[in-house]
Amino acid sequence: MAESSSPGMKREDPDRNSKMSAVVVVHGGAWAIPDQLAEASVDGVKAAACEGSSVLKRGGSALDAVEAAVRALEDNPAFNAGHGATLNADGEVELDAIIMDGRTLASGAVSSVKNIANPVSLARAVMEKTAHVMLTSRGANLFAESIGVVTVPPDTLLTEYEKKEWEKHKTYVTGVDEDFNTQWAHDTVGAVAVDRAGNVACATSTGGIRNKMVGRVGDSPVIGAGGYADNLSGAVSCTGHGESILKVTLARLILSHVERGKSVADSSQLSLQYMADRVRGAGGSIVVSPSGQWAATFTTDRMAWAAVDQDVLWYGLDPDERLREQLS
Amino acid sequence: MTLEQTEPGMQEIKPASFMSLIATLKPVSTSRLSTFPSQLIDMLPVVVVHGGAGHIPKERSELSTSGVTSAVRAGYAVLRGGGSSMDAVVEAVTYLENNPAFNAGCGSVLNVKGDVEMDAFVMEGKTLGSGAVSAVRNIANPIQLARLVMDKTSHLCLTAEGAKQFARSMGVPEVPQESLITEYSRMRWRKNLAPDANPVECQMGKMGTVGAVAVDSQGNVACATSTGGILNKMEGRVGDTPCIGCGGYADNMVGAVSTTGHGEAIMKVVLAKHILYQMEQGQSVEAASDLGLACMKFRAAGLGGVITVDPQGHWAARFSSRQMAWAAAQKDTLHYGLYEGENFTQSIDVQH
Repeated sequence: MAESSSPGMKREDPDRNSKMSAVVVVHGGAWAIPDQLAEASVDGVKAAACEGSSVLKRGGSALDAVEAAVRALEDNPAFNAGHGATLNADGEVELDAIIMDGRTLASGAVSSVKNIANPVSLARAVMEKTAHVMLTSRGANLFAESIGVVTVPPDTLLTEYEKKEWEKHKTYVTGVDEDFNTQWAHDTVGAVAVDRAGNVACATSTGGIRNKMVGRVGDSPVIGAGGYADNLSGAVSCTGHGESILKVTLARLILSHVERGKSVADSSQLSLQYMADRVRGAGGSIVVSPSGQWAATFTTDRMAWAAVDQDVLWYGLDPDERLREQLS
Repeated sequence: MTLEQTEPGMQEIKPASFMSLIATLKPVSTSRLSTFPSQLIDMLPVVVVHGGAGHIPKERSELSTSGVTSAVRAGYAVLRGGGSSMDAVVEAVTYLENNPAFNAGCGSVLNVKGDVEMDAFVMEGKTLGSGAVSAVRNIANPIQLARLVMDKTSHLCLTAEGAKQFARSMGVPEVPQESLITEYSRMRWRKNLAPDANPVECQMGKMGTVGAVAVDSQGNVACATSTGGILNKMEGRVGDTPCIGCGGYADNMVGAVSTTGHGEAIMKVVLAKHILYQMEQGQSVEAASDLGLACMKFRAAGLGGVITVDPQGHWAARFSSRQMAWAAAQKDTLHYGLYEGENFTQSIDVQH
């Protein structure tokens, strides 16, 4: 398994605690990203991490940072979220997203929304403007209208690439197992962050599995599976085989290990290994702790990820790859 | 971290003091409610059902009690006949969906528009297989549709129109919405349209989510949960029920849970999983259930109830609300209760 984590000690660093540095980590999906998409994926996660980081630098909250980072990824057609999302069996785009605030455990999620450019922001509105945690389908779209969220024409979110892929697969139902052994499955995006006040947050957004059944809901909008955030332990965003992530409630599982004293890196590795052993699913996760420890871990061939931690931009794609750039 | 003062005794809780509070909780005496001495055999099979947690008015309590006892008998008959725990929980929940006294299937609460949108969930503990539907309309038994999602698709959850299309493709009959609406649910809907109404408060206990957990003779665990959701909810609102780990969870290595109560609060603490994590750490079914409910109360300001079972057949029915209608069947004995501390028993006449 591939893992990159915060440099230095894996255990809690008392100096680090007192510094309360802000960290943001993003991912652009765990799958066998083909070479022709590699550069765009890496550029995309780096840009998104920098977006999130500038929010934190301005004194913004972890919640603001993860929303900004995921919006950047949703707007980028290279990723399977918002613009560029995969199509369901009917050739339509249905989107899922979640956001969670570790300070209060408040959360917002949408599943199967259509014609919305930034589902993560709609999820945030569910959290902040309703008494509910999750809205689905038409109800979610009605809510969007009621708060003035612009509906974009269906074609806006489609890309030529996805239309072609949908055509290719229309007559051949791809087993979910196969998608993760093949080159052509896109995936989810997400971000986690801890701000200067020590608050953590997570966000995840996706178009789901290509040619999924109409109305299929994966892990991304399900609290505890696609993401979870709790100031007492940390924030997680997951990607990979959605059905497997759901079965093991991956985000909550990772934090259950952190609660028992394991490092974010070990917690991620143990949980992904368990998912592989118990339900034969592959995927990836990003985790951040309230003290600024972080990890990006995956069991798929590749995962595009990036993190900004104390003015250093870390990023990678292939297993054990950990590149860095100094930020001014 | 500040919580609204919602009832006497609730205080502003900061994380540090919450953790020390948790450390002081002791397991409640298990003798009456759940544990038989471990040297007794035949703790399997067992099935437990609930008909919702809250403040059930006296005039409805008879309906609730007879409803859960009938449902548990039906589930137990399946188990005694050699059926699986999954068959048993689906059977028990089907009974409760068909019973108009409960907030599931027929008798579901209405959303703000006066429509019925239902959520349901099943999970089996051997392979962690699961199926769920959310915001589904015009079908009589969402729990059976959830099971079809598990058995007949490669997905775990279908929502709204997609769930309906799938039902159609499976030959599940579409029923008119009117057949699911009772006078009682319509009356409660109308009452809560008033701007100063408090639907969460109003709902607590009068109409509950239903659920079941079971362990069969092979030691396989399963859970099932079904609901019409929260009274006067927004259209498309999805609660804890169809969210794996929240409305329920089943794992042969640990146990099975089905939850009821304030859905949003259950979701925030991923209640079913929370309880099972405690059991993995060595807590009993009761202590784990109580710890989960305490977490939900103090961190998410919500009340609810749970039924929990471990693979050895220990079970618990616990709630932080005023009442929860529940019933259990084990060793040809029926247990049931409504108010805190109640555990009535009766022998079950089993036809072999």
